[in-house]
Amino acid sequence: MGDKSKAVRIRTRPPRVVRMSVEQPLWRALTAYRLLTLVYAIGLFAIGWDQDEYQRPWAGVAYLALLAVWTLATLGRVSSAQRCTKRFLVADISIALGGILLTPLVATHQRILEGGPTLPSIWTAGAVLAFAIKGGWRWAAVTSALVGVANVIQRGGFSRDTVHNVLLVCIASIAIGYVVEVARTSERVLARALRIEAATRERERLARDIHDGVLQVLAMVQRRGAEIGGEAEALGRMAGEQEVALRALVAAGPAPVPAPASAADDLVRTVVPLQSLDREPDAPLDMSALLASLASSGVTVSAPGTAVMLPTYAAGELVAAVRAALDNVARHAGDGAHAWILLEDEPDAVLVSVRDNGPGIPEGRLADAEKEGRLGVAQSIRGRLRDLGGTVEVVSVPGQGAEVEMRLKK
Amino acid sequence: MTDGAVSTTVKVMVVDDHPMWRDAVARDLAEGGFEVVATAGDGPEAVRRAKAAQPQVLVLDLNLPGLSGVQVCKAVIGDNPALRVLVLSASGEHADVLEAVKSGATGYLLKSAGRDELLDAVRRTAVGDPVFTPGLAGLVLGEYRRLASDPAPAAPDEPEAPKITDRETEVLRLVAKGLSYKQIAERLVISHRTVQNHVQNTLGKLQLHNRVELVRYAIERGLDD
Repeated sequence: MGDKSKAVRIRTRPPRVVRMSVEQPLWRALTAYRLLTLVYAIGLFAIGWDQDEYQRPWAGVAYLALLAVWTLATLGRVSSAQRCTKRFLVADISIALGGILLTPLVATHQRILEGGPTLPSIWTAGAVLAFAIKGGWRWAAVTSALVGVANVIQRGGFSRDTVHNVLLVCIASIAIGYVVEVARTSERVLARALRIEAATRERERLARDIHDGVLQVLAMVQRRGAEIGGEAEALGRMAGEQEVALRALVAAGPAPVPAPASAADDLVRTVVPLQSLDREPDAPLDMSALLASLASSGVTVSAPGTAVMLPTYAAGELVAAVRAALDNVARHAGDGAHAWILLEDEPDAVLVSVRDNGPGIPEGRLADAEKEGRLGVAQSIRGRLRDLGGTVEVVSVPGQGAEVEMRLKK
Repeated sequence: MTDGAVSTTVKVMVVDDHPMWRDAVARDLAEGGFEVVATAGDGPEAVRRAKAAQPQVLVLDLNLPGLSGVQVCKAVIGDNPALRVLVLSASGEHADVLEAVKSGATGYLLKSAGRDELLDAVRRTAVGDPVFTPGLAGLVLGEYRRLASDPAPAAPDEPEAPKITDRETEVLRLVAKGLSYKQIAERLVISHRTVQNHVQNTLGKLQLHNRVELVRYAIERGLDD
């Protein structure tokens, strides 16, 4: 009944793909720009033809024909960052520069001095903008400088018009390159945030469903197994251990976000190195969650309801010390011994106690062992805590097991 | 307990959204000599049936559809303050358990607890003896520490956060470390009954504080409207 509807709900949830791109409209605009400026360049050339301003008109026609073929043949190249390869960009800017340098050979000297347009005229800016959109403001700056140099050579010196035009291209391309960079960065951050959010939601959903189904069944198997006895009892115990482990997993914080397998496009690929930022090496860890993972059918963990944060290193060492104490329980307290871990968050210290219900430590044995220089597990616990600036107290009350209390100043 | 007159049979209600689990618990309780007067599979149903069936003990799962276990707990105790609530949860969702206890539940048991543990817990809940697992003791200790570390109330009429005595802390810590009441009594050289009282007090103060806060909140809202 309820179980069936749950299964369906799990299957029918579609994968959420959110893709918002600032970059795509820019590429589309560039495609349009190249086409329009091609028409413009041809028109300008035609006007000059009427006024008889060319010394070698057919060279100009040949160049513009080449430009038209090139522009139309490579229209698809400026539709996305992947298709706009470096080779294409270099060829594109070469054609633009070639056209500029060719201008003095085609046009009359008079026309050049009057500040007449170059052969490709404003088509050149399209090539520069392609660099800007593909590679950001630095590429844009370099390319527009090249165009500037070519323009100065074409004109045969500095003039107000030339400097003015070069500056315009320069500023526009650098600005667009910068905007593209900012847009890419924010897209990356957004994509990462969305994935973390999706992962959290997924975990919460799993937590709910697992809670409802698997945990209950496991707890049930454990319970019935214990009642039936025999082989079923062992099965039940295993089920119980899995139940505790699973519950700890479900209660723990979000797992590191895995990068998607199909990192086909630039956007997703550039996200991968950012993974390392998800967890700084010395970010605090929650002791409650760490200790909860130690719970089993033989280990009860009690902790405050709120997170108890410790620096990564201290938390790791403290958990290792608790593990050592649990090993000690397993070794000395006999079969069927139970251990209790208590985590306490005091204003100035974090306290972790590990108690067992074994026979306890005979009086003087600890002191004897210390004198003989063999302390084994107790030594490793003390050592770790001393390195962290904490203290360890071992208490054993006859008939009430042994207790290790670790105190770590905050 | 069950051998006495009919009137002493404890009336129990089981609330859990998982039918298999609900039936198993109900069967165990019936076999253990309790009268299972009702069961419910979601929050609103639980509140309705608890009103109609008037159980003495409510065995309550916290993760319920419709209305959360905590809300159910508040609602049923609001309807009938004499009703005892035993939280039986698989989730170990700390905040929820604490919230349920503050709003009146007097016991908390993990679902992995055995049959006998469950029967014993219901029996103790019925007579008003809190069922303190080590896990709950840890939570309650944490809650008192949290309250103590909160800044002092700004307004003079604000109720002071409940405080726990040194002896109560000592007892709770031992409960959290898995000692039985008997062992605690031995270690602290006090009577079993005194241990019980200490444990009960720690819970009572939290619940009282919670009620005072609720009333204060209600009055504030009422005056503002």
